[in-house]
Parts: sequence; C-alpha cells; structure tokens
Amino acid sequence: MTEVIIKNGFVYDPINGVKGEKMDISLKNGKIVEKVTHNAKVIDATGLTVMPGGVDIHTHIAGGEVNIGRMIRPEDHVKDTVAKTAMTRSGTGYSIPSTFVTGYRYSQMGYTTVMNPSMAPLEAKHTHEELNDIPLLDKATYPLIGDWWFVLEYLRKGDLEECARHVAWMMDITKGYAIKIVNPGGLESWGFGRNVHSIDDQVPNFCITPREIMVGLAKVNELLNLPHSIHLHTNNLGLPGNYSTTLETMKALEKVPYHGKPVAHITHLQFSSFGGDGWGNFKSAAEEISNYINAHNHITFDMGQIIFTDTTTMTADGPFEFTLYQLSGHKWVNSDVETETSGGIIPFHYKKNNAVNATQWSIGLELALLIKDPWKMMMTTDHPNAGPFFSYPRILAWLTSKNARMATLKNCNKKAQKKSLLPSIDREITLYELAIMTRAAQAKALGLKHKGHLGVGADADVAIFNINPETTDIARKYKTARKAFKNAAYTIKDGQIVVKDGEVVGHADGRTMWLNVKTAEPCRIDEEMKSKFKQYWTVDYDNYPVSDHYVKVKDPITIKASV
Amino acid sequence: MSIIKSVTCPICGCLCDDIELTVEKNEVVKVRNGCAICESKFIGYKGHHRVKTPLMRKDGKLVSVSMDEAVHAAAEILANANYPILYGWSSTSSEAQRVGVELTEEVGGIMDNTAVVCHGPSILGVQEVGIPTCTLGQIRHRADLIIYWGCDPWSAHPRHLERYTSFTEGRFENSEWKAFMQKLKAQAGQKKLESAARIEIGSTHPKPQTCTVPGMPQSMNKSGRKLIVVDVRKTMSAEMADYFIQVQPNKDYELMQALRVLVNDGELDVDNVAGVPVEYLKDVADALVNCEFGVIFFGMGLTQTAGKFRNIEVAIQLVRDLNSRTKFTIMPMRGHFNVTGANVVSAWQSGYPYGVDFSLGYPRYNPGETTCMDVLLREENDASLVIASDPGANFPKKAVENMIKHPLIVIDPHMNATSMLADIVFPSAFVGIEVEGTAYRMDHVPLPLKKVVEPPKGVLSDEEILTKILEEVKVIKSSSKKSTKKVEA
Amino acid sequence: MIVLSPIRKFTYPVTAECINPDVFQDREISEIAKLPVFEGNKPKALSDLFKIENDNLETPTITINGDVSEVRRIGIGMKNGEIVINGNVGMHLGEKMAGGKITVNGNASQWAGCSIKKGTIEIHGNAGDYLASPYRGSTDGMKGGKIVVDGDVGADSGCYLQGGLIKIKGNNTGQFLGFHMSKGTIHVEKNASTRLGANMTGGKIIVSGTLEELMPSFTIDSVKAKVKVDETESAAGPFYVFLGDLAEKGTGKIFASKANNPHLKTYEKYL
Repeated sequence: MTEVIIKNGFVYDPINGVKGEKMDISLKNGKIVEKVTHNAKVIDATGLTVMPGGVDIHTHIAGGEVNIGRMIRPEDHVKDTVAKTAMTRSGTGYSIPSTFVTGYRYSQMGYTTVMNPSMAPLEAKHTHEELNDIPLLDKATYPLIGDWWFVLEYLRKGDLEECARHVAWMMDITKGYAIKIVNPGGLESWGFGRNVHSIDDQVPNFCITPREIMVGLAKVNELLNLPHSIHLHTNNLGLPGNYSTTLETMKALEKVPYHGKPVAHITHLQFSSFGGDGWGNFKSAAEEISNYINAHNHITFDMGQIIFTDTTTMTADGPFEFTLYQLSGHKWVNSDVETETSGGIIPFHYKKNNAVNATQWSIGLELALLIKDPWKMMMTTDHPNAGPFFSYPRILAWLTSKNARMATLKNCNKKAQKKSLLPSIDREITLYELAIMTRAAQAKALGLKHKGHLGVGADADVAIFNINPETTDIARKYKTARKAFKNAAYTIKDGQIVVKDGEVVGHADGRTMWLNVKTAEPCRIDEEMKSKFKQYWTVDYDNYPVSDHYVKVKDPITIKASV
Repeated sequence: MSIIKSVTCPICGCLCDDIELTVEKNEVVKVRNGCAICESKFIGYKGHHRVKTPLMRKDGKLVSVSMDEAVHAAAEILANANYPILYGWSSTSSEAQRVGVELTEEVGGIMDNTAVVCHGPSILGVQEVGIPTCTLGQIRHRADLIIYWGCDPWSAHPRHLERYTSFTEGRFENSEWKAFMQKLKAQAGQKKLESAARIEIGSTHPKPQTCTVPGMPQSMNKSGRKLIVVDVRKTMSAEMADYFIQVQPNKDYELMQALRVLVNDGELDVDNVAGVPVEYLKDVADALVNCEFGVIFFGMGLTQTAGKFRNIEVAIQLVRDLNSRTKFTIMPMRGHFNVTGANVVSAWQSGYPYGVDFSLGYPRYNPGETTCMDVLLREENDASLVIASDPGANFPKKAVENMIKHPLIVIDPHMNATSMLADIVFPSAFVGIEVEGTAYRMDHVPLPLKKVVEPPKGVLSDEEILTKILEEVKVIKSSSKKSTKKVEA
Repeated sequence: MIVLSPIRKFTYPVTAECINPDVFQDREISEIAKLPVFEGNKPKALSDLFKIENDNLETPTITINGDVSEVRRIGIGMKNGEIVINGNVGMHLGEKMAGGKITVNGNASQWAGCSIKKGTIEIHGNAGDYLASPYRGSTDGMKGGKIVVDGDVGADSGCYLQGGLIKIKGNNTGQFLGFHMSKGTIHVEKNASTRLGANMTGGKIIVSGTLEELMPSFTIDSVKAKVKVDETESAAGPFYVFLGDLAEKGTGKIFASKANNPHLKTYEKYL
C-alpha cells in the first residue's frame, strides 16, 4: 500500500485542463487518487513543474531491424559507453542504444510510455523479447500490415469485413497495438526491386493502389474500434516535391467516415513535406502542408525533427533506404520480410552546412509552429531516423524559444538560412502546449485512457522538472530549460520513484500493452487458411503467434469490434 | 503414444519447424519430415555419453557432487577471476543467452560465441558494408537465380533447397525438382555409358579430373529457377547445379572483384581470374544482371579462407552493385541452430554480436583483441565457462592447452571432448527436446522450440543452471565488498 | 622525463590510457603514481604495475623500459611530446594521435597508429595487423603524419588511408595493404603480399620489391622512371604504373618495380 504525495508543484495536465496551477498530486498503489493519508511519502515539488510521464508515439527501439542497426555500427557504440552500476546494467549508445540504456535514458528525461512503431509480424517474438529488456517504461508495438498479402487480397476483393477479421487476428497474435502502414504498395513492389510513385499507381501482381490500401485500412480500423488510428508513413517519403503526395493522401483520407476521432496519424511529417523538384532547388513545403492541417481535423501528426548529428536511419521503406544508399554510398542494410513488409538501414549524418539537411531541420520546426492546434502535432525525431531520442531537450528548447532557434539557424548553410521561414515566426510554444505535444496529445491519439494525464484513475506515471514557471522564462533561459528536461528532478513510474536528479534510483520492468480484438465472428482459422499460411510463409502456422511466454509483464486491452 | 506436430528442429540454421514426432513413454520413436541429421538427433540424443549429475574434478578424477557444491565452486571461480571467458552459446535458447550476458557482465569477462570460428567474418563484413538481405520466404517466392558460394547445403543444410530455394513452390516461381530428377536420370544414363566404355577399353584407372571450367551451359537460358554453385571442388551440391564454377582455392576475393568490374560495365586486362576464363565470367555477369531476383548463399568457403571477412565484404559489395540493375540479396548459411540468436541477444543487450569484453565495466568489442580464441592463444585468460559448444574438439591445440591450464566449467548434456577436460561439469537438458526456448533462424526469424519429452531426473535447463551461478556470484561479490569495507575501517 | 619500468610480467591485458604525454604533463610523480589503470577486470593504480622515476632529461617525455606487450592504449590521442618504448608494446599504440612522436625499439602489436591525424610513429621491429587502420565499421583512416616500420607489417594495414605516409622496410606485408585508401602514400621497400590496394580510390602505393600478385581489377597506365615518396624522398624505378581499383571506379596508383616483377610483363601489351 504505497502512498506518495507530490506537494505544491506547478501542474500541467492538459487532458484535464490544468494549466500550471499549484496543486498536490496523490498516488496510491500505482494510481492517481483523490487523496492519501498522512503516512504518504512526501515529494516536495515547490518551485518545480509537474507533468504526466512522457509518452512517445513513435520510436524505433526494439526488434529485428533495430537490432541489425546495432550490429552493424560498432563504431557508433564505441563513442558512447555506459558502465554498470549497482542499480543499472551496462550498455552502449549512440544512435541506437542497447535495450537497458534505452529504458534508462528515456526515464531520465521523464518519459514513462513508449511506442515501437515498426514490427514485422514474422519477427514479432524478437520485438517482444527486446521490449522485455527495456526497463522503467510501459511499451507497445505496431505490426506492419500495409503490404501484407492478406490485406492486399481482401481489399482488392472489396471484402472489408473479412479483411478486418484478419487484421484483428494479426493484432492479437503479434500482440500489437495499432495498424502500421509504410509506403503502402511500395514495400510489396520492392520485393522485386520496384516502388510506387503516386497513390494511384498499381502495385505489381496485386492490382491495388496505395489509395485503396490506406482508405481500406482506415475503414477497417473504424470497424475494429481500435484505440489509435492507422499510423501512416506516406508514399514518396524523403523525395523532393513529395508534399503533393502528402496532400493527396490527406485528401484521400477525407473519404473515410469521420466521427470526431482522427482517421489517420501521419508520422514523421517533416520527411513528407518537401518542396522543389530536385535536390538543387530543394525547399520547405511546411506552409502548404500546415495550411491544409489548420483547416482539417481528421488526421494527427508527429514531427520527425532533424538533429544535426551522425545518426542511423531505419524504416520499413526499403526502396527509400536504397535511395539514401545511392545518394550517400554508406553501408546499407536491406531486410525484406516474406509476405509482409520490407526494411532498410543506413547511417546518416545531418550537417548544418548541408543545404538540404539544414532545410529539413527548419521544416520540422516550421510545421510545429505553423500548425495552430498543439493537439494535432506531436514531438518526435522518429528515433533514430532524424536523431537520437535523447536529443529531445534540444527540440523542446527550439520549440519554446525563438532565440534558441535563431542561435542554431545562424550556423546553418546560408542558402537554407535564406529560405527558412523561422526568422518570420515569432511563436514560442508554452509549457502547457509542450505538455500537450509530449504527453497529452500522444496519449489521446493512442487512445491510452490511463496515460498522459494526472486525473484520478490514471497510472501514477509522473515527471517533475527543475523549472519554476513563475521565475524562469524558458524562452529566454532556454539552456536552463534544456538542462531541466534532460535530467528530470523526479521520474515516477507506477507510483515509485525511479529517477532522481537525472539518476536511476529504482527498478521497474514496465508493462507491454497489446490489443485483444474481439470480433463477433473470429477469423476463420480453418484448414484452408492453414494451408494458405503454409504457402505464404516458411514457418508453420502453430509457430507463428507470439505466445504469452514472450511478454514479461502483460497488459492486454480488450477491444470489442463492430464486425 | 502421442504425435507432436510443428516441432522446430534444433540442429542447424535452417530451423525447419515442420517436424512431426511420435513420442512413446518419454522417448521419441519416430521422426517425420526431418533430414537424416534431424532424425539422428531426435532418436539418438540420449546416447551413451549423457551426464546425469554435476561432476567435479577431485584428485584428478571427475566425481559426482551436489548441485549446490558445483554451483558454489563455479561461482567462486568466476567471481574471483581476472579475465574469464564465457564461450559457446550457439546450441541453447535465447532465454539462456540472456542470462549469459548478465553473468558475463557481473564477472567482468568476455562473452563469445561459436561465430568466432564460423561466421564471425560474415558479421565483420556486414559491419563494413551492410547487407542486402531478406527472409527465406522471399527466396522461395521470388528467386530465379540461386547461387551457393563456398558452401555445400546437400551435406550441411540438407533441406535448404526443398524448403527455401530451388525445389520449392513460390508465389512467383516454381520448383525445379522435376527438371532436376530428369537431369539425374540423364546423368545416370551417361555414367552407365561411360563406365561401359571404360570396361571395353580395358582401363581400370579413372581419368584424372581436369580443372578446366566449362562455359555456361544451355540450361542457364531456361525459364524458371537456375542454380549456380561456386566451390573449389565438385561437391554433391555442385552436381545438382545448372552451372558449377570451380574457383581456385583462396581466390574467391579476386573472382568476385572481377565480377564487380564486369557487372559495372568495366573491362579487365586479364584473361583468367581464379582459374575461370574471363569470357565465361562475362556470361556469369550477364546472368547476374539479367535475373529477376538473385541470391547468394555462402559458407565457410568464404569465411574461413584467405581474406576471411573481406571475402564476405566483396560478396556483399557485388550484391549491392547488382541492386542498381536488378533485385539481389545475400545470406550466410549459419551452422548451429541458435548461433544467430547468440549474436542477436548479445547485440540487443550490449550493442555487440560476439567477443564482448566486460572487463572495464562496460561492453567493448574488437575481434582479434576481445575474441576468446585470440585471448586463449595469448594466454591472457584465467578461467573459462563453456556452454552449448565443444571447443575442446574444434579449437586449435594451443588454445585448448591454455584453456585447461586454468579452471574450466562446462555446461552440456553430453560428456564431450571439452567436458572430459573440465574441472566442473553441469549436465543440462536439450533445448528443443527436453526444454522449450526460442531460437533464431539463419535469416533472423525467431521460432519457438518445443519440449517434447522430460529431461532425466535432476537435470536442469541451461537457463536454470546459469541463473543459479549468477545468483551465487552476486552473493559472493556483495559479501566481498562488505569485507573490504571492514578492512578499510 | 618520466621513466616507467614494468615491475613484473603482465598476464592479463593492461589498459593504460593514462600513459600519455598530455596526461603526465604538469603532474608530479606522486600524482602520476595514482593514475588509474586496469589489469584484466581489476582497477589498479599505475604504481601497482610500474616503477615510476624521473630521469631529469627534457625529452623524451615518457620512456618505457621493458616488455609492455600486454599494455594497451599507450599514447592514445596524444597531441605533443615523445614516448620511447624499449621493448615490445601492446595494442592500440598511439591511436588517433594528433601530434608528437612515438618510437618503439621492439615490436608493436595490432592497431598501432590507428586513425592518426598528425605525428610520427617509428617502429624498429615488426608491426601487427591493422597498422594505421580505423576501428571496425569506421572509414576514419589515417589522415596525416608518418609511420615507419623497419620490419614486417601484418594484414589489413593502411586501410582507408586519407593522407600522410606509411613506410614499410621489412620482408613481408600482410594482405590488403592500403585497402580502400583515397589519399596518401604507402611505400613498401621490399615485397608486398596479395590484394594490395583492393578497393582503392586514390593515393599511391609504391612497391620497390616484388608484388606477389596484382588484383585483376587494376589496369596498366604507364611506365615511370621514378616516383615521389614525399617532399624529401623519391623511389627509383622504372615502375609499372597501374590504375584502379576499377570495381570502385578508382584512380589510385600502384607503382610496381619493373625489375622485380617480371610476372607483370604481360601487361605491357596494353600500353
């Protein structure tokens, strides 16, 4: 019966409309409660900022692809080593930290829930084995099914309900949380080295278009009542001029019946907001994209903000990663997965003096600042693609302080400086809006009822930062703010203090969440299905699902589908 | 009697998971779908050399001891060692491998696995240039050009062709089994004629095999899957191929670099590379470029011949270059059924796939410096734990001699060459037969291993034994810290 | 200045990054004695392993007398000063050096002079594998400075060379000398092994003795009477000059002595 009371902090709880009031927060048995007894352990949060624990909607931290990334970059690990302590295991960074270090570093920044956004269903057991070794965080993962043969075949037939049943089955047996779609149609095309170039291109051998895949799966998502919307990485990602594909995609999704809840989430939007028509006249299309977003409510987004550093790109977008290889000549991994998806990895160094990289850096911030509603635009780096997650405090400084942005911009490539919209944007994200973009909006978009807020009944996941909003102007004192966000004064997980003054002081395994989707009629796992399974995959049907053995601390969520 | 289906075979990197076992009175009596090696393991695993109790060497002889005594002795050795080696890991589950990493970190030693004598060079090559690869099903569905380079699947991965490559039905490509059977019949007929001719002439000496590489045969122009084998001699796999290229020993690097030049539309100043006439190499380059989906599988012929990791590097570079012209992939033919898992687990927990040195308190990796073979040859170690492998049988003599100069702990189901030299022996259960677990296929696909029979009474799993040792090590280390504090006071 | 003598034979690897002129600079012997090192997995002080004295000479900054073949990472990243080692020395000697000088009167182990930026390393015995080459997975090769080895050199040396000079005077080099180099010079005064300059894109390798075998991905460019080694030295030919590596569309040059490489005569027909 552990009771904790966090006294007198400045509380930011956007989901419950709390905007920096001085309040006490009471925790009991791992939950937020109305009040506690005088026996409660007291945390004096006077002069400190109290927020719900951070929620990251998109971060590549576990699974086959992430791990091959680790394996191929010993030269990256050697510059960032982490020694064992009495409390913590050893490990390495830099751009793709080992599992224990991932947990510690997120927790040190005040995060308590993370979402691994790409899981090849065939390799799901691996993803879950790694998630088990990420301490101090609750986690979930999204199976990649945008190019899954069953999805392509059922959508082509127009059989939405049967498609929905198969998706429900897939979500359950891979212990997944959301429908992930990457370059729809492109991954299957990449099986033979090809790609799609518009949302109306035909996918070779399957007679279906990306438009049909996205709209079909968005409708399936509705039928299944999944808590998150479809999570989408657009076609033509990373190519100059791709903003038009992004606009077409968003317009196509207007066709999906909208009931007040977004029908899609477009991830790492920065990579999909490129103007120009070549690398020579590359420019930002943040204005065009944000104008559309400001006028529509059916989609949410996350940034994919660039950090100037030597990082590693990894996505299921095999053809895009190959393009990066052709541009850079760096070591390149390709990893296509039978029947399901593709993947690629390549190290990439974003440089300030590179016109394209500097413009990309500007694009992410332009989007976040031009999109008026902070509930629509969440803060990420698509870790590690645009930068390692422990660079988040830098982004928070850029968002909340024009001085911080200008200080970085003035060292960037001159051409990019001229083109950047940032000098003309005065907006500085407030602490309240920051709380939205880094926890509340993420929890809301994910449909996580007990995360991202501090109302009664929520999980007792709390972050306390060394920022006094009454005495510190974070727009002026951005370096102080950055330091405060880097090392939380306290991180509390399930009511237990796990980080104090940026040091790990406690242990928690964290839970793995997944969806148990109950359709009225279950997917027909009959002999016909099993034999088709044998034709499509090289593993037996019995060995495909992720059994409970693979999840250390289980937190399944039952969903009742409308089909 | 019961029949258990969809059993994953715990032998090689193929990790076939369609094995069907008949179990009667806690014994496997019948194996269906498995190759000869699979069957011999499931039927014959008990054998004469099964260890039933923990053993310790006393007065020069291995005698039975209690688990507690053995655990305590092993933990003392490891906890006090200055530079211990924990080696093997390739024939056990990922669940056990995870405990292994924690134990090695706790004792400040080196965790190394059998890749160091096998596909370690492949990993080194991948760390230099990456790797365009895929899962085995992609090959089944799409590959129309299959190349085995420096490996002999017929002997070492017997079901590879029928499950994943030439003799399997895919969505976009068909099996070549029928064509192969017809070719065998034709070859058998031809051999009869030749043998009859020899009897007639009266010669009893077979003609010496000349090492001339023939030009590309007509069968390479057919539609459907084509098979090329590259090796230093004509193996059984080579007999099955549409085209066999006999490369001079230790010259694979030159051959592949020459192919790179040709594939990139360059010209060569030489007539012959590695025993292969350049005009034939040009045909090979054309075949590579003109396929729909090609794949190179490779083995010890590349990893353990002159050049080692650079051989893999150039093979990957060739495949990378080909991706500008067509779709091409490459994959190592991993040996032990869970050596891939040992690399995978080590990488996610430490960042590095093998040869991980924890002596400075954080993981370090540098094959040649932190790999156990090199440490043994330089006589730098002072204790070893060997699990799920048999270095006593397959390490160089000097390395084994140095290993046994210091305390040696072995965890294995059988009395093998290494356990015979050990100071402490822990009997363990067979993963995939007597205990369940997870293993990673050669293409990194994780598969569950089943428990189909009970282990002998008192025999624990690798995971359980390692956990006991780890807990005891932690106790020893924390009490030694307390006693140091006392002394200082 | 400071003289270090190992007090016994080291069995376990000793990690001693502190043995570095930049670290010893402005430190009293009593401070130097306490500098941390590792022997195997045990943290120790420098004085636990070495006798530390001052010879009251200006240079060299550090002299090591004795066998330190198990002592690793001496002189890492040093910017100035001089180290003289009278004995065999362990791995990673002078890695990422940015200035100063290291002299080894004995053999150097693997990874000597890895990725150096400036400075001089003279090894009067043999050098192990990976001389001047970058760490696994990295293309961060030697950028400048000079490395001279009187004896033989192991495999995979001079990989990703980007500047500076490596001179090898012994009878044997290992395979893959100058792998993927892009700039800089390697001079092999005697014989060179196979796969010389594989994947090179620029720079030059001069072989005054016999080149065991030339990669098939090189083409003959010309014959030259002599070639510049550096500002102070030229090598006397005549040399066959080969261009490559064609697999990388490279424009690196291999100069092979005409007199000592009769097996390369067949290339003359392409001139």
